[in-house]
Amino acid sequence: MEITFEHVTHSYEANSPTASLGLDDVSLTIKDKLFTAIVGQTGSGKSTLVRHINALLKPTSGKVIVGKRVITSETNNKNLKPLRKQVGMVFQFPESQLFEDTVEKDIMFGPMNFGATEEEARKAAHTMIKLVGLDESLLSKSPFDLSGGQMRRVAIAGVLASDPETVILDEPTAGLDPVGRLEIMNLFKDLQEKGKTIILITHNMDDVADYADEMAVIHSGKLIAQGPPKEVFNNQELLQDDVLTLPHSASFAKELQQKGFHFDKLPITINELGTEIKQQLNGD
Amino acid sequence: MEKIISIENLNYTYPESKKPAIKDLSLDIYKNEWLSIVGKNGSGKSTLTKLIDGLIEASSGTITIAGQVINEENIWDARKRIGIIFQNPDHQFVGATVEDDVAFGLENQGMPREDMIKEVDRALALVKMSDFKTRDPQSLSGGQKQRVAIAGVLATKPQIIIMDESTSMLDPDGRKTVLDLVQQLRKQQDLTIISITHDIEETELSQRIVVLNDGQIVKDGKPVDIYDLGSNLRKYGLEEPFSSKLMSIIRVTEKLPEGYLSEEELKQQLWKLHSNM
Repeated sequence: MEITFEHVTHSYEANSPTASLGLDDVSLTIKDKLFTAIVGQTGSGKSTLVRHINALLKPTSGKVIVGKRVITSETNNKNLKPLRKQVGMVFQFPESQLFEDTVEKDIMFGPMNFGATEEEARKAAHTMIKLVGLDESLLSKSPFDLSGGQMRRVAIAGVLASDPETVILDEPTAGLDPVGRLEIMNLFKDLQEKGKTIILITHNMDDVADYADEMAVIHSGKLIAQGPPKEVFNNQELLQDDVLTLPHSASFAKELQQKGFHFDKLPITINELGTEIKQQLNGD
Repeated sequence: MEKIISIENLNYTYPESKKPAIKDLSLDIYKNEWLSIVGKNGSGKSTLTKLIDGLIEASSGTITIAGQVINEENIWDARKRIGIIFQNPDHQFVGATVEDDVAFGLENQGMPREDMIKEVDRALALVKMSDFKTRDPQSLSGGQKQRVAIAGVLATKPQIIIMDESTSMLDPDGRKTVLDLVQQLRKQQDLTIISITHDIEETELSQRIVVLNDGQIVKDGKPVDIYDLGSNLRKYGLEEPFSSKLMSIIRVTEKLPEGYLSEEELKQQLWKLHSNM
């Protein structure tokens, strides 16, 4: 499902003296079935942007087109269910939204809310818990008896259980240990390869380099760059303005350039960096 | 070296849990040392700090802080020696301005206003945030917020600072500023730093690293010795340092020295190889 923003402006408290622009004339296409990263500093408007995709926020002007659905300032709050079933959203620290007395019920809540039968929802819970790397035996436990990392996975399973076509993730790995982070990121990449559209908000530029096909950079409510990560991270202008930080491998390569090494384009993953260093040392 | 914290045969099991979170753990922490405690989620890192700060009580074993075995009567004295910087700076602000916020801990101690103003100024100067004292904490960057949080802790003049994942939500620049600042303060103010983290790169400035797994210490050594474990660090939920990952890719065809090199050392090596071509 392709998602298009056409001249979207979002003003918080539009008619008051404290009005502030959350988004300023953003036009952007998020391609179907790709992994797109949205980056920008805290307060830049990333979260405001993605909240328009399932109409948690509506544009003050302009429109958002999600598949066949058009969202404008006039969009009625009724009949948003089909849209929200298609677009699943995992908020930051999603474990804080668990509320049922068992893990199973918590995962079943989403599908049942969207009209699945109890049996279908239960089946989804059993599939999803395994998908996020947890044991089925946890289904009968209270979500509050789980560790933080396990709770995070249950919350993600709950969103995936409704089988959304598009999954939006807002800093899904914040606070997880490195191995847990890797598992969760690989899960999302896997979902994308199986046909879902993934939209990831993140501060971690290494994750952008390692997983994303496309990236969009938001700064002060404006879209200032979009494209494949390798292109965007080589955009000198963005780097000079300090708007964007580099992935670890790219900043290492940049320092190597001070003496002897030369990169036509800065490598952005550790494998690219290692390969280029070997080539340059072999003199070919 | 003088011990500031001595932990002996400590055990702790959370109520309603069958598995102990801390298992017969013993550890000495020395004055003015920077010790990193690393391990995956659930390894017992946070439990250990809660025990040290007396927020929970051990099932058995003892903790001695500055020569005093901690018990119910003296825990408040012990706690005055310890300041904690948490992960999310947004969760620790209470004041409307930076200076109010730093003053909070002192107000709690009932310090007279005159002294408090002096103390707040001193603490903000130490973290180089004096120019921001009338600002709203929410308007600061992540790194600046953590510096203010550190000032709040310094104002109460602790001997020990515990950093609980304090830089994990900062960007690389913010992280570097905070870590360099802590290093400088440790030397200047004779502080002992205990940093809890699962980010191996946050441990670079520490003098000793303790690896926890399942509530027990599985490794205790200098950073280079721990980093030298390379991909074996994964067993403990930790990531291999960037430089050792890169070295194992390059080593396939190029000669590099054995053992761990820091990123700086690796760069020097690569430059040398390049100029010898």
